[in-house]
Amino acid sequence: MRLYSLSVLYKGEPRVQLLKAAYDVSTFSFFQRSRSGPARRCRHQDKPCRGLTAAPVLTGVQEFMTFTSQLIVERSQLGSRASVKEQEYLCHVYVRSDGLAGVVIADNEYPQRVCFTLLDKVLDEFSRQVSRAEWPSGSPGTISYAALDGYLSKYQNPRDADPMTRVQAELDETKIILHNTMESLLERGEKLDDLVSKSEVLGAQSKAFYKTARKQNSCCAVM
Amino acid sequence: MAESPEEVAVLVQRVVKDIRNAFARNPHIDEIGLIPCPEARYNRSPIVLVENKLGVESWCVKFLLPYVHNKLLLYRQRKQWLNKDELIDITCTLLLLNPDFTTAWNVRKELILSGTLNPLKDLHLGKLALTKFPKSPETWIHRRWVLQHLIQENSLPTLVNKGNLGAAPVERIHRLVQEEMNVCSEAAGRYPSNYNAWSHRIWVLQHVGKLTVKILLDELTSTKYWVSMHVSDHSGFHYRQFLLKSLISRTVNDDNTPVQNQMVNEQNPSLQKEEEGEGAEAACAEEQSVDIPHYLEEELDLCTDLIDTYPGHETLWCHRRRVFYLQHHLGNRLPLVSAVVSSVDSSDEAFQNSHPCPATRHMAQAMDVDGLSESSSKQGYTQETKRLKRGPLQDCIGPETEYRFIDKVLSTCRDADQARFATAYRKWLVTFLGQ
Repeated sequence: MRLYSLSVLYKGEPRVQLLKAAYDVSTFSFFQRSRSGPARRCRHQDKPCRGLTAAPVLTGVQEFMTFTSQLIVERSQLGSRASVKEQEYLCHVYVRSDGLAGVVIADNEYPQRVCFTLLDKVLDEFSRQVSRAEWPSGSPGTISYAALDGYLSKYQNPRDADPMTRVQAELDETKIILHNTMESLLERGEKLDDLVSKSEVLGAQSKAFYKTARKQNSCCAVM
Repeated sequence: MAESPEEVAVLVQRVVKDIRNAFARNPHIDEIGLIPCPEARYNRSPIVLVENKLGVESWCVKFLLPYVHNKLLLYRQRKQWLNKDELIDITCTLLLLNPDFTTAWNVRKELILSGTLNPLKDLHLGKLALTKFPKSPETWIHRRWVLQHLIQENSLPTLVNKGNLGAAPVERIHRLVQEEMNVCSEAAGRYPSNYNAWSHRIWVLQHVGKLTVKILLDELTSTKYWVSMHVSDHSGFHYRQFLLKSLISRTVNDDNTPVQNQMVNEQNPSLQKEEEGEGAEAACAEEQSVDIPHYLEEELDLCTDLIDTYPGHETLWCHRRRVFYLQHHLGNRLPLVSAVVSSVDSSDEAFQNSHPCPATRHMAQAMDVDGLSESSSKQGYTQETKRLKRGPLQDCIGPETEYRFIDKVLSTCRDADQARFATAYRKWLVTFLGQ
């Protein structure tokens, strides 16, 4: 029963902005987590700049969670709540009518109800602490809201975080859309594999990781 | 990136050496992994050692694996000789890439038997392989072979016992068992419903731990939190069912006497107060007194708590059936409520066969001034009551509580799956009790 990421985003036109995110990848194998990949080769290879750029490239499962969160918000309507199933993960999304959105990525044991309680709470607090003017162009570097890591950690044990005696009368659970795969969020003919390879957000290492992960789902794959 | 055979050979030798050096430099390596890396970088080694984690870059695997695989097979076919160190290094590399390669484990078995390889190294290697391949059947199988080997060795003073002849073999066994419990627990966390890990855990309790009451109770305590956080893990809950069943076999014989206790319940009227029949076991010298009905009741409470907190998990309902069955089964075998015994003479007509009396009704009778009618009015479901009177014997827990629980769930739950499971459970109860 686990939470893997908690993100706050803004559903702007045309782009979805990631405003702030927290991740817990401790249960993933070490080399799948975010790590600095090799620096990209400089295009001036014949010049004396040693062929290396400065910025390291982040790769791994963390990056994928960002990609997924953004994609889900992009394909969800304003004023909607949904749970999207993908392999053994469940992505719960709440897009408010003012465009502020939150995504929780959890496993399939974590209670759905608690995720939506958490999203309500976080978005409410965020909207009070961070002014609306900052949302359309914000990024994790510019937004100051530090509570996400604490929430992610606290909610790892749903019982500690959310006393079950409190019944959420306002939250009518029948209004949560359930998608059985990520593909059902996409347009007709669109493929997730294509979106991954076209993505500007994911580095080459991550794309390779995605291909490897896809293969490893078959039981006899060794590599 | 076409590699010539010579280049591949050089690469492989380098990788095998790098892996060996990594282990030599860092004996605390606790995890292995594959690094997705489509291209080799600047002629650097594909072996990466970071913070006790050993990684292999993916680009080299397609060269490395077939080559070492082939090399080992050639050795096996006696077409190419490999000395003992080479064998150890090559099998280590192979098994970290593909631990289901039985031949490699078998080569290591031979090395262990010839005294060249310390069996504890294989336990370590297996543990590492399981961090990446938590289900790997061959790894678990080999592990059991090594453990059996160690147990046999344990009874003989050899060099394997680290020079301490007969030094606390019980302590060694205990440490072995604890380590296995840890390995199983980690593997269970890495893959949902990891049948191989949990079966291994059971095997260890049976063959290394000898199913002592202490170990069974310790395991019951130590897995409680884990299953509460993995409410869909069938194998985890099945393990608890195994623990409870084993506890029952350790403490109750088939003829209803507690194990290792000659006293029969009739002799002890103080039992009348308690619903448990284990008081007689207090006389047991070796086995601590085990309040089985209490543990079963606690298990049922745990199940109720989890069902209420996490609606819609079929595993919990399956677990409930098993626990209820154990309670029911126990109730039939043990003269649970010894009030029964004292009222034996007065209610002969209630005996339908030679089995011990049903606890509930007769206890009520013994306490009750008005007799039978009083006890039957306490049961709220007349249809079920008729079935019960025809059916097998009930213990004090009884199905009434279960029916009430089901009703409560059905009237308050908002999850469609939960409602479905509750209804199915009711059907099962009715069928089960009707037999």
